[in-house]
Amino acid sequence: MIPSQATQLQIDAALKEYAHERSALLAVLHLIQKERGYIAVEDEAWVAKRLDLPPAEVAGVVSFYTMFRTKPPGRHHIQVCRTLTCQIRGCRELVKHLEQKLGIQDGGVTPDGRYSLITVECLGSCGTAPMMQVNDDYHENLTLERLDALLDSMK
Amino acid sequence: MADPTPEQVTLTIDSQSVTVPAGTNLIEAARSVGIEIPHFCYHPRLSIAGNCRMCLVDIEKMPKNQIACSTKAAPGMIVRTRSDKAVKARQGVMEFLLINHPLDCPICDQAGECVLQDFSYHYGTGGSRFDGLKVHHDKNVDLGPHIVFDGERCIKCTRCIRFCEEVTHTHELGLFSRGDHTIIGTFPGKHLDNAYSGCTADICPVGALTVKEFRFKQRVWFLRNTASICAGCARGCNVNLGINEERIWRITPRDNGAVNQSWICDEGRLSYQTYQQSERLGRALGSAAAGSATREILAASGYEQVAATLGEIARKHGGATVAGITSGHASVEEQAALKELIERAGGNRIALPVHERGDDDALLIRKDKTANSVGARLVGGANCTPEDLLAAIKTGKVRALVVLREDFLGEFGAEAMAARGALDFLMTLDWRVTATVKASDVALPLCAYGEMDGSLINYQGRIQLLRPGLTPFEESDPAWKPLLEIASRLGGAAVPKNFREAFRWAASRVPALSQLDTPALGKYGVALESPETGRG
Amino acid sequence: MTNQEYRPLLLKNIHRPDSTSLSAYRESGGYKALERAVREMTPEQVLEEVKASGLRGRGGAGFPTGMKWGFLPKGPGEKYLVLNADESEPGTFKDRLLMERDPHLVLEGFLIGCYAVGCTRGYIYIRGEFVEPWRILLKAVEEARSANLAGKNILGSGFDCEITIYRGAGAYICGEETALLESLEGKRGMPRLKPPFPAQVGLYGKPTSVNNVETIANVPLIVEMGSSWYAGIGRPKNTGPKLYCVSGHVRKPGVYEFPLGIPLKELIFEHAGGLLRETRPLKAVIPGGSSVPILPAEKCDVLMDFDSLAAAGTMLGSAGVIVLDDSVCMVDALLNLARFYAHESCGQCTPCREGCGWYVQILERLERGEGKSSDLDLLLDLSDRIQGNTICPLGDAVAMPVRSYVNVFRNEFQYHVDHKKCLAEPAPAPV
Repeated sequence: MIPSQATQLQIDAALKEYAHERSALLAVLHLIQKERGYIAVEDEAWVAKRLDLPPAEVAGVVSFYTMFRTKPPGRHHIQVCRTLTCQIRGCRELVKHLEQKLGIQDGGVTPDGRYSLITVECLGSCGTAPMMQVNDDYHENLTLERLDALLDSMK
Repeated sequence: MADPTPEQVTLTIDSQSVTVPAGTNLIEAARSVGIEIPHFCYHPRLSIAGNCRMCLVDIEKMPKNQIACSTKAAPGMIVRTRSDKAVKARQGVMEFLLINHPLDCPICDQAGECVLQDFSYHYGTGGSRFDGLKVHHDKNVDLGPHIVFDGERCIKCTRCIRFCEEVTHTHELGLFSRGDHTIIGTFPGKHLDNAYSGCTADICPVGALTVKEFRFKQRVWFLRNTASICAGCARGCNVNLGINEERIWRITPRDNGAVNQSWICDEGRLSYQTYQQSERLGRALGSAAAGSATREILAASGYEQVAATLGEIARKHGGATVAGITSGHASVEEQAALKELIERAGGNRIALPVHERGDDDALLIRKDKTANSVGARLVGGANCTPEDLLAAIKTGKVRALVVLREDFLGEFGAEAMAARGALDFLMTLDWRVTATVKASDVALPLCAYGEMDGSLINYQGRIQLLRPGLTPFEESDPAWKPLLEIASRLGGAAVPKNFREAFRWAASRVPALSQLDTPALGKYGVALESPETGRG
Repeated sequence: MTNQEYRPLLLKNIHRPDSTSLSAYRESGGYKALERAVREMTPEQVLEEVKASGLRGRGGAGFPTGMKWGFLPKGPGEKYLVLNADESEPGTFKDRLLMERDPHLVLEGFLIGCYAVGCTRGYIYIRGEFVEPWRILLKAVEEARSANLAGKNILGSGFDCEITIYRGAGAYICGEETALLESLEGKRGMPRLKPPFPAQVGLYGKPTSVNNVETIANVPLIVEMGSSWYAGIGRPKNTGPKLYCVSGHVRKPGVYEFPLGIPLKELIFEHAGGLLRETRPLKAVIPGGSSVPILPAEKCDVLMDFDSLAAAGTMLGSAGVIVLDDSVCMVDALLNLARFYAHESCGQCTPCREGCGWYVQILERLERGEGKSSDLDLLLDLSDRIQGNTICPLGDAVAMPVRSYVNVFRNEFQYHVDHKKCLAEPAPAPV
């Protein structure tokens, strides 16, 4: 069952952290997404009950923030930065290469669930452009070769 | 110009001097001198959102335009709503609102009362420079039992969301996504189903939220509005009846801060459907008239016969055997006229049936589903319970019964039908054919809701006026007319010639109303101060 | 002292291999300023020092920090200092560097700030994508707590200060202070109407000051060395060291620390290695993050401080210096930014919500050769309708670049209309 006992303990701790429990909402959603990989409708209902919030508001918060996913990503969720500096340092070539190599479009998941690909806005790493984030990790100063090596290393 | 008192503030709006209470926002300040500052998201009964930006005004010494809804009037403030800076901003907002708005006017219920349409006409530039692709959303979404939602028409003013948060506290609605894909909606699987859901359609400035029962039924410019009172419960919400071709097509709330603010419950909003679904009593029926009778026949001999019958029973068995059943559904004039008739016949027993369902809620709904039970008590009837009256009939203490707007037999069932047999004379006045009507010796046709003038007193002790917007059905009358006709033939006074005379006649008989006349009641009614109202 | 001789003050620790640890920080003199503040100074004295230093906000607005703190009510009563670590302005990556490589510098500055304003529970709002910096900061807070540098009765002074680190979840708009507060309260990050201002009604309705990471990192320096010493760095009214983020078509992109007022060309050509490709000369520079007006190459003889750049018609902003060579099509570049703002707009208010999407459609048409001449003036007019009419500065942040790029590079936009293609000659991508 999600959230598991372990996650629920972390959720309890998060709720204690704030003077107003509602402030814990984003932290709780992060914890649930960490466990499930995304946030399902039943998770939103569960969170609404746990935090005593209207379900529509919880769902509204989930839909506002781009990091909260409502569909399962691949095991390696590839997020390529596409904002100005990364663009002029070649992110479009990286994305084209990824789309060709993985056989999916921006927004897609490979059939075997290994990779998903999206382009995202500025990740605050313009000095090492072009770059991408895979799950939690930044991969910077990318070239096509480094990209291939990284892909191979992701099982 | 000095401020009159510390609580008042004087400022200038479009070169006009304006004095308002401190804390007044600029929209209301301007409104007080007849200047319209257009707006969508602002509503005087909801919190300030400040998101539509339509009310941007130019304030001297402030480099940027300010929104009038959240800016409070300050002493010496100089506001320009028509400067180039303000006009440019406002035209910009209009153009921006229309770029993703669908060209639905020909099929949209809101046309004719659409704020976006009206402001586009008054404040827009008459054209758009947008020639791209509009953002699309689901249209015709079943949002709740009474509400259809069109996502493309929505301008994200959030009035509906604030209503569900601040007025009904039910929180069904929220904002989803962001940027120009922002849309309002419910949690998956949940609906907008609070008891006041229809109000979201009232406050929606566009046709994004519309009422299902009115969808595609009438163009609003064909509707004549009659200002009246809802008769669904003891709140007496102020309403407009939207009427065309002798039919009520919708009921919408009128704003009355003392009664219902800007709201009405869904049941009251749709109450006109009940009135339209019953079989009407159009003509007098009964043995006294040997079949159905017109008003002429009644006037010529019918009333005389009823008076004679009642007089006969009173002589034979005593005046106390003449009794009445009054109703919280009846107007004050009708209730007073019933009492007059019973008293002229020598009786004094009048019962008031109770119609309660559910509970009073925290907003408007009252469990008393009649609009004028207070009137019945004030007028001085309601001195015995229907059960006591039934017992009195069975034991022969009541032999003649006059029933006003109640289906006494229908509601008390077999027991009452059995008691009917013990009565020498049963007369009913009603607007529809009921079991009681069918079992009556005489049945007289009454106006239904929307067909007559009448005063009602709500649970707060406020007296308000019902107004007619429909022609009375066939031979129907307000009950005070036939009742006082009969009473006059038993020694009662002359029959009032019109409603105002009837009101003044009734008022003269009720201490709490004795100073009143109909013009004082206006469209919003008057709070009675008499302790007999039982307020508090 | 020339800029060549300048030794970093804010970045002095970042190259130590163990720079994130408390012991390393203390070894290099860290937490002496906190000690001085809580043991030898009153909160008012700390505030006066920060005021006298002339420190101006490093998040983008450049508002004097001491004055901002001074807006908070004095005396007892709940108030909050909130650290804005939501760094999301395109071209900006300095706060991340500080958090990742010298977290204790940030913490020390934050604790001193909390002491100065009377905040006993400080919040750090860090963008959700910064996972590694978050973990580093958490560890640093734990270390500080264990060493009695944070938490109850700091260094025996009687001053309590708990620090809570709060993760965002992907929204540039949460870098706007009132949207940040909304997000911190567990809601959609939609900016609030001002007035009231956060100094009166902020987090949980209490007086609040929101400050940028780099701004706060200057505070230990001010307290340790004194406001006059600090004010000697940089230029009048533009005091102190500054972290410049240089990116784009340069050989050595990265964060460079210099006193405020370094000439832009010196920054690019003498420190950041000059232009990336010999054959592609400088075309334009965005001096302060994507939201500021652009400087064409011929206008780049300018000093990098708040007032000089304002006089040049642009802004220092977040000091995100994006260097563009002549391979960049300005229509394409502006389209990239318009898409960014359209993606990040919270959607609350009409001009920004609808205007951003409209900009994107116009620029897309121009970019693919379907533009009209009237599109250029339309873009300018829309900027006039948006700027100054929105709830928050995001509307201004998109309107200013649009106006600037169309005005400065009008010939290029017109070329797109007339010839249905780019004027700029693309170069192979450097990957």
